[in-house]
Formats: sequence, C-alpha cells, structure tokens
Amino acid sequence: MSNASLLLASLQHGDSFFPSGAVSFSWGLETLFSEGALTNADDIEAFARTQLQGRWAGFDRSVLISAHDAASLKDGDIDELHRIDAIVETQTLAREMRDGSHRSGLALLRVHEKMGTPGTSSYYDDIRGNKTRGHLSVMQGFVWARCGITKFDAQVIAAHALCVGLLGAALRLGAIGHVDSQRILASLRDPIDLILCHEAPVLERVHAFTPHSEIAVMRHETADSRLFAN
Amino acid sequence: MKSEKIFKHTSPARVGIGGPVGSGKTALIEKLIPTLEARGIEVAVVTNDLVTKEDAERLKRSGLIDPDRVRAVETGACPHTAIREDPTLNIQAADDLAAEFPSVGIIIIESGGDNLASTFSLDLVDYWLFVIDTAGGDDIPRKKGPGIIRSDLLVINKIDLAPLVGSDLELMEKDANEVRGDRPMVMTNCATGEGIVAIVNQLSRDVLFDA
Repeated sequence: MSNASLLLASLQHGDSFFPSGAVSFSWGLETLFSEGALTNADDIEAFARTQLQGRWAGFDRSVLISAHDAASLKDGDIDELHRIDAIVETQTLAREMRDGSHRSGLALLRVHEKMGTPGTSSYYDDIRGNKTRGHLSVMQGFVWARCGITKFDAQVIAAHALCVGLLGAALRLGAIGHVDSQRILASLRDPIDLILCHEAPVLERVHAFTPHSEIAVMRHETADSRLFAN
Repeated sequence: MKSEKIFKHTSPARVGIGGPVGSGKTALIEKLIPTLEARGIEVAVVTNDLVTKEDAERLKRSGLIDPDRVRAVETGACPHTAIREDPTLNIQAADDLAAEFPSVGIIIIESGGDNLASTFSLDLVDYWLFVIDTAGGDDIPRKKGPGIIRSDLLVINKIDLAPLVGSDLELMEKDANEVRGDRPMVMTNCATGEGIVAIVNQLSRDVLFDA
C-alpha cells in the first residue's frame, strides 16, 4: 500500500464512524460520573490518562501486539489467537468489562466478516461455536493485521479509539463539552507517544491496575439508570 | 424494502419499530405479539431503552412472551446511532436470538424513543415501522421527517385521543398520504387493539411473503 493508502486505512479504522458498538460502552465512566466521583473536564482527562496508563499500556496493548503477530503469520496462527483470547478472559475480573470486551470485539469482527476481511469468517464461526471469545484487543490486532495495517499503526489506532470512546461517553453524559473533548484528546497525544516509545510487556507479564473504574463497572451491573452497557 | 419479494424467509425476518418517545412503540409490540403468535408466527424482541431497562422488563413481565426472548441493548445515549450508523450490537442481539430460538419467525427491534429524523439501517432490518401519535400534534406528518417519509409502514397511534387533544385525524391521514405516496399507513388505537390486524396483515404480506 502507498503511504496515502496506509494513512487512509488507519483513518477509516480509527474513526468513530466505523461501526464497532463502541458507542454503547463507558468502561466505568457512567457510574463514576453519576456518583459524583468525576465532575469536570480535569477529572475526565485524568480518568482517560489512567485508562491509558493503568490498563491499555500494560494489558490491551500487549494483547493487541500478540494478536497482530499471530494474525500476520501465513494463514494466521488461530490456536495462538484462541490462547490470547483465553488470557484476556481469565484476567478481566469485572463481568461487564469481560462482556463489553467480548461484545465490542465480536461487533468489530462481524463488520469485517461482512466486509470480506480475510480469515474473519472462520473466526466468527469459532466464537459462535463457543471455541473462543473474541475480545476487543485480540480482534483489533487480528482484523487490522488482515487489513494490512502495521503493528505500530494498529497500536496508535487502538489508543486513539479508546480515548475517543471515553471522551464521547463523557460528552454524551454531559460531563464535558465539545471543545473540552477535543482539548483533552489533543492532551492525550503525549502520554500515548510515551507509552509507544517503551516496549510492551510480553503476554505472560500483562497487567492492569485500574481498581476505581473496575469497581465502578461492578456497581454498574445493578444500576437502575444506565445509558451504557458498562 | 431492501429485498425483492421472491422467496420466503429461511431465517427470522427483522422488523424495526421506531418513533418519538411516548408514541406507543412498546404498546404496539404488546398487541402485535399475541396477534402474530395466534397466526403461528413466533416472536422475539430486542429493545433499546434509553436510560433504563423498563421497556424490556415491561415485555418480560407481560406474560405475552418468554422472557428469554427479550433482549435489552444499551445505546450510550444515542438511540439513532444504534439503529443507523452503528447497529452492530443490535445485530448481535438479533443474531443471538435467531441462534437460540430457531423457530422464531419475526425479531422485532424497538428503537429507543427518538425524533422524526431517525431511520433504520437496512443492514439491521428487513422492514421498519415508524409510530407517531395524535397527541404529538396533527402537523407531524406535514413536517416530513425521514421516519414519516421513508418507513415501510407508518403507524398513527392513539386515534381515540385526537378529539381530546385537538388533532385533526383526517388532516393527518391526508398529509401522511401526500408525503408518502403509495407507501402504506395504518391508524391504530393500541389500547384497544384497533388497527393491529391491519399491521399484521401488512407484515405477513410484505415481510413473511404469505399471500
């Protein structure tokens, strides 16, 4: 692919216009905002930074890289993708975090399956047949590798998509305005850049530590009022 | 409608029901379920409650349908996005229902209450209804929102309330026919069931392709 074509592909897959169900998930933000733990733009920015540094950098990023590697092999290493999927399943404590990761991963895969992205149809059958779960970061590495997106670009897209998803949720909750959301998104470039400058943990050493939001996700399971799925 | 009326469905038909808040979408579904089931057409429902799971819980508790056949999908405060730009989670819920209940003939996907501009993605549904009501004002059809114009079937509900709220029912019918051309429209009173058989007849012909 030419440089322009690669950039256009990254823009397409990193755009919130790309249907992946992301609009339905807040990853704990809805609960924390409704309980008054997050009240303003500074809080939302801090929350997004914590999700990037406390979870994405040490967990989702490594999973994505491993999935991208497995999917880039000739014919793809499907057994390895299943193994990575199982690691995400067992290391994600809160039920709505697990379900959210599974549902958004499946949604992303399903769109690629309909678009004819190579290999996605059989992986979709594996999920439907309960052979694996199809977690979001696994599916991101898998389908983006199959679309010819480089491993580095895949990480950039995933980090950007996480931030846009969180800020979009904050915007729709009324926690921030449209200008703040863009200001915060710009402020998150440096932390993302810093994360990408360092080696990601190997799969056997993935870790996440975001107890505040994970406990909020657990409380969300029984919330009467809920705009989001987690 | 998306597909040509050539052959019978081999998988459940997916029917969207959209319309403004309070127009009677859930009440319509409560009347459609027994009428369809009486004709041997099994039903499952996906709801898109905006803030709570109230519509889903209302259907589950209604005794009209096996609660396992009702699924709620949260839309992140974007009911229109969940049926149009990004319907992936609604598709997922409908796929789950189709896989778990292969005898289901129709899966109804109820949008969260929205405005007159909402439309359904044709990757999500085979056919869609748009429900408005007389209490919303008799100028609604004349406003020509995409839901009024583009829906496969327009439903004007709460016809019994028209004289009480000062809405001219004949004007609504005339304006709706003018803006919709030959697309069908049904007047209903979902409280009594008036007009429900006409909707089911329309679904049988246009969605299930029964003569």
